[in-house]
Amino acid sequence: MNQIIDISNWQLLLGLLFILLAQISSFVFHLGLNRDIAIGTIRTFAQLFLMGFVLTYILQSDHQLLVVGVFLVMVVSAIFIIKGRVAEKQVSYLFPTFLTMLVSYFATAMFVSGLIIGSSPWWEPRYFLPAGGMVIGNSMSALAISLERFFRDLRQQRDQIEMQLSLGAGYREASAEIFRTAVKAGMIPSINAMMGVGLVFIPGMMSGQILAGIDPMIAIRYQIVVMLMLVGATTLSSVTIMLLIRKRCFGSGEELLLTSS
Amino acid sequence: MLEPILEIQDLSFSYDGSSEKIFSHLNLKVTAGEFLLVKGPSGQGKSTLLRLICRLQQPCGGSIRYRGREITKIAPSELRSSISFVAQIPRMIDASVKDNLLLPFTFEANKAKSPPSDESLRLMLRDFYLESVALAQSAMKLSIGQMQRLAIMRAILLNPDILLLDEPTSALDPESAAMVFSLIERLNIDEGKTLITVTHSDYVPKKPLAAVYRLHERTLHKEQ
Repeated sequence: MNQIIDISNWQLLLGLLFILLAQISSFVFHLGLNRDIAIGTIRTFAQLFLMGFVLTYILQSDHQLLVVGVFLVMVVSAIFIIKGRVAEKQVSYLFPTFLTMLVSYFATAMFVSGLIIGSSPWWEPRYFLPAGGMVIGNSMSALAISLERFFRDLRQQRDQIEMQLSLGAGYREASAEIFRTAVKAGMIPSINAMMGVGLVFIPGMMSGQILAGIDPMIAIRYQIVVMLMLVGATTLSSVTIMLLIRKRCFGSGEELLLTSS
Repeated sequence: MLEPILEIQDLSFSYDGSSEKIFSHLNLKVTAGEFLLVKGPSGQGKSTLLRLICRLQQPCGGSIRYRGREITKIAPSELRSSISFVAQIPRMIDASVKDNLLLPFTFEANKAKSPPSDESLRLMLRDFYLESVALAQSAMKLSIGQMQRLAIMRAILLNPDILLLDEPTSALDPESAAMVFSLIERLNIDEGKTLITVTHSDYVPKKPLAAVYRLHERTLHKEQ
């Protein structure tokens, strides 16, 4: 049972038939996705092979700084992806977002790896990096949703906000509803995932462990920890970031700085 | 000479990224109980002037003093409870008329003020030509003219020292506009409210003491 079947290069290329199917569909139905599918496929191969080599090296070298360095690279990459998805020019949000992501995700990965799983040392790459990777990957999407929603609603509801400010509301009071809606929008996917897990889908990590021959009862324990960790990390990072960013959207007179242009 | 309740000195303003000044060296003194009407064509910055007074925008230079204090030294929410601004297009929250009227009392800065009873709200609705409006009905279903009067009433409930009205009749039909102007005059004459009203209409206030200013060439000129 513990013997894992390797996938040869030829077998891997056979997987490209799925991509061929997508390319044909895009061509026939004029979806305009041929270029994106091609680039996405090349990047999937390149990035994952690169990660495979890096992880093999890190797991063998067992060096703390290297593990932390890889974690840092993952957070920096996530920031660039968020930057691409949140088109905000008036308020500088990247630095506080980066700092919050770095601190909250590091703390979460450290807590899970060192305390819940109990690996020793806490940064043992086999546990710390997958935990960190999953936190970054999932929370990054949540943050992008929250930030994009927050900036959009502040602009769209400018008149409502100014009406409340004019009647003596503080900036926190005037933007309370928009704040709540934005944070909720980011959190809902990870909460929905908890509703559907094990019923609607088998999560990637658990599937991977089962494929690798791990007892399903151990795999589900890991998966439960991951689901809880994702909700916690998403909440912690999105609430912190939104609190920091909200302050930047208002000036010294608590006037809304975002304009519709 | 009475101490001014509001004093503007050398005020200048330009929009972000623009070198062209909307105002330059604008000066104004307002005494308590005064009724100021600021006129001028659209796009001259009349609304901006009101927004600068209540800090919804920041000037490039000069100073604005309220009761002798620089407004930048006053907490914004405290300032806006004393100098109330009613926007050109009235905004309501999606709730009842009563909830809209009591909205300001839910804010921290106004917690010390006691909200009016339903009975006094009904009496006020009548004074504001809104006798047909029920407290429980949805504010979103009111006409724009009714909303405008409700917005002024909501601002008045806080008992501000100064009321800033931005084009209060621009979106209204002549009949509703006449009601709003009559209301504004009564607030000044009967209750002694200090009013600064911006308008580009040809309205001439009944009260002979109302001071009319014209915003022209980046500064205010008093009309005789």
